[in-house]
Amino acid sequence: MSQNRWLATGNFFTSYKQEQRTFFTHLDRTIFTCFLVILFGWPLVFEISNKYMLVLDNILIAIVAVMGLNLLLGFAGLISIGHAAFVGIGAYSVASVCQVIGENHVIVTHFWPVLIVCAGIMGAIFGAFVGLPALRLKHLYLAIATLSFQMIFEWFIQFMSFFNQGQTIYVGRVHWFTGQVGRSDHYLFWYYIILTLVVVLGFGVRNLLKTKYGRCLVAVRDNDRAADAMGMNPGLTKVYAFALAGFFAGVAGALHAYLYRGVGFESFTLHASVGYLAMAIVGGLGTLNGIFWGPVAIKFLDIQVEQFSEFVGQYLTSAPNVATALKPLSFGLVIVLFLMYEPRGIANWWRIVKSYTKLWPFRY
Amino acid sequence: MSYFFQIVVSGIVVGSIYALAALGLVLVYKSSRVANFAHGQIIAAGAFITFFLTVRLGVPIFFSFLASMLITFFLAMSVERIFLRRLIGEPIISVIMVTIGLASIFDGLIYLTPFGSENFSFPTFLPTESIVVGGVSISWTQLVGVIITFVLIGCFSWFFKKSTVGISMRAVSDDQFGAMSVGISVPRVFALAWATAGLSAAAAGCIIGNITGLNFETLHAFGIVVFPVVILGGLDSILGAVVAGIIMGLIQQFASGYLDGNFGLNGTGDVMPYIILLIILLFKPHGLFGIHEIERV
Repeated sequence: MSQNRWLATGNFFTSYKQEQRTFFTHLDRTIFTCFLVILFGWPLVFEISNKYMLVLDNILIAIVAVMGLNLLLGFAGLISIGHAAFVGIGAYSVASVCQVIGENHVIVTHFWPVLIVCAGIMGAIFGAFVGLPALRLKHLYLAIATLSFQMIFEWFIQFMSFFNQGQTIYVGRVHWFTGQVGRSDHYLFWYYIILTLVVVLGFGVRNLLKTKYGRCLVAVRDNDRAADAMGMNPGLTKVYAFALAGFFAGVAGALHAYLYRGVGFESFTLHASVGYLAMAIVGGLGTLNGIFWGPVAIKFLDIQVEQFSEFVGQYLTSAPNVATALKPLSFGLVIVLFLMYEPRGIANWWRIVKSYTKLWPFRY
Repeated sequence: MSYFFQIVVSGIVVGSIYALAALGLVLVYKSSRVANFAHGQIIAAGAFITFFLTVRLGVPIFFSFLASMLITFFLAMSVERIFLRRLIGEPIISVIMVTIGLASIFDGLIYLTPFGSENFSFPTFLPTESIVVGGVSISWTQLVGVIITFVLIGCFSWFFKKSTVGISMRAVSDDQFGAMSVGISVPRVFALAWATAGLSAAAAGCIIGNITGLNFETLHAFGIVVFPVVILGGLDSILGAVVAGIIMGLIQQFASGYLDGNFGLNGTGDVMPYIILLIILLFKPHGLFGIHEIERV
């Protein structure tokens, strides 16, 4: 660490402990605190309609889900084409509790944090189960295994009468210390809850990578045979990565169920899985801040494309499915262009900007 | 008993189409180690091009069949040239994701055409009454479809066994550096593999379109359902694709013939391949005919 605790323009570490810090300089910590204060404080200053609050909540839930996927894809190097199914597992475990004991039972409305954690654990169990082929396989075979899990999940939800055959299963309104969370502040309430969760889980991911298991994941991604030779167990590490990703996805699913006050089949299709993959890639694989950039960028693109196709639809009345056409087109283009020209994602731009500002006015 | 044989016959019909669709996937994987998730979209494109040429332009169906095969030949080749060639040497995640992105782009492009969201059917050019042998019926379109499929598969396997280009493609799939050192142009072989995959995809699309009718959703769903088939047969074996295609077709038809409606189940035919796939992955990870590669650090 440099003498100056506010600015560091190089690597001055003298011990391993210094490298383990969460924040390297005071400036980093101050900026992060300011950022958090702004994120938590702005709804008190600005009034915002429920419509836009829902968009923000959606982005935050996607961030939770992408955290898991990025662990799996970026850190452990395993492709999952069934991430939406894991999210669905979380959502449907809340929904099945509602089916059994009723949507307005005390457990659903008062003990929702417990339910959210339980949903995460359910996701982790299923994740580990789907990851079992990872004990012997890698790469494409695993990707197809998750794909088939996605298909089996969709079939289950669509044909089981217990899950209402994919129709909406309602979840009751939750209670807080101030009483029942009403219609007007429902989205605001969940904004705070999900934001808190994102911060906590974000620190969790950040610290996980410093532990033995986190380094195991990266070693297995880089070369699983070499990791094997160095005394790690690649198969178990992969299963562990799947379980971890399943946990994050399950939590995201439970949050989704509570936010929408219901669980429907459409949110957890193969298309949604591809969406999560795109978010992880656009954000930047194997980076922490990529987890946040990806969902923001993709959801923003979604909204813009929707507005654009509405605008186009006014002039081209004869082509009714411009919106259905433009959405996958722009989405696919974004994935392909990012992979071809910026495979490290938006996180790389962030890194460039950061290193530039840090070293300014010196170029290097 | 005739119910049983009826299911066997329809299973073989479905299975041979799977085999033809899987062939393209195997070709691309064999030569360039790319799993093409956009294969279903190429199948759909081939079918719609044939439909457009026959119905809108009035070309005889045989010529439009050939023309669509030619067009998808160049379409798939240009896809390889534009997108995949930049990614040689990139990690497998990027390659798979690019093909998923491509699938999305193709989706968008096909939705822009009038073929995206409606049902179409080819004009009938074969007798409409079906052949009945001992209570088992098979329609003319199915019969001709199966015959064309097997002829095409025979042509492909001849092409790989005997022709110089085919042998060089096999050489590349075995060992890229070795093939390069004996003077085979590896990028050209990649392009050719994609092109032949496009060709077989168009043929598959036309046959499916004739049998089941043209609908974009069902056509591009073939691109996904083909993956269990390919994994069952082993990702890099053409024979495996044929055998696994027919096995998968039979399993699917038996599942929907005997399970549906009996135990409160529905649509088991759609999900059965994936269940089989998960079981296979646990017990025989590299499929029936797949090569188990020896890895070294």
